[in-house]
Amino acid sequence: MPTDHFLIMALYALLISVFFSLLWRSGARERVALFVKLFLALVVGALAVAWLMYPFPS
Amino acid sequence: MSEPAAPSAPPLSVPARSPRRGAAPLLAAALAWIFPGLGHFLVGRRGTAVLYAIIVSATFVLGLSFEGRLYSPEPGQPLTILATFAVYGAGLLNLSARLLSSNPGGTILSVTYEYGCAFLLTAGLMNLLLMLDAYDIAAGRKS
Repeated sequence: MPTDHFLIMALYALLISVFFSLLWRSGARERVALFVKLFLALVVGALAVAWLMYPFPS
Repeated sequence: MSEPAAPSAPPLSVPARSPRRGAAPLLAAALAWIFPGLGHFLVGRRGTAVLYAIIVSATFVLGLSFEGRLYSPEPGQPLTILATFAVYGAGLLNLSARLLSSNPGGTILSVTYEYGCAFLLTAGLMNLLLMLDAYDIAAGRKS
């Protein structure tokens, strides 16, 4: 069982992105395009939010 | 002598979809609840149905492996009602997990507990979306 937070987050992003690209798009090309956008938005967005929170004390 | 007028372009029209009423859309939604992808299998989206089954099942199983919680309503905790509704969206996956699991409440002290809860809730909500999608396809609202 993985305990690395980033890995688990990336896995979650992967499942979400695949699911919604299948649900919202038809055709392989559109699905891949949406998958990439969603995955990057989730992972990069999470990293961006993490860095924004970095200056604040825990 | 005036030239004949050029024929005007036909008005844009969207082919009317005849909404299918009756048992089929409800059956598709019900099957989708029972197991992820079954509703889409019924309406002919076989390949996508298999993928949905894999994705939602994987999400649910990962949630269990991360020792997340299979929510039940708790007195004084109204948000657990929403969480219960979400988890029950997973149909047989949820019901069988509750019957077979020795620890349906999850392990709150586990490092991955919060993630497990998130995965379980997400799997249920994904399946609720699949129910709606299967209904729309069977009803002719979605091509």
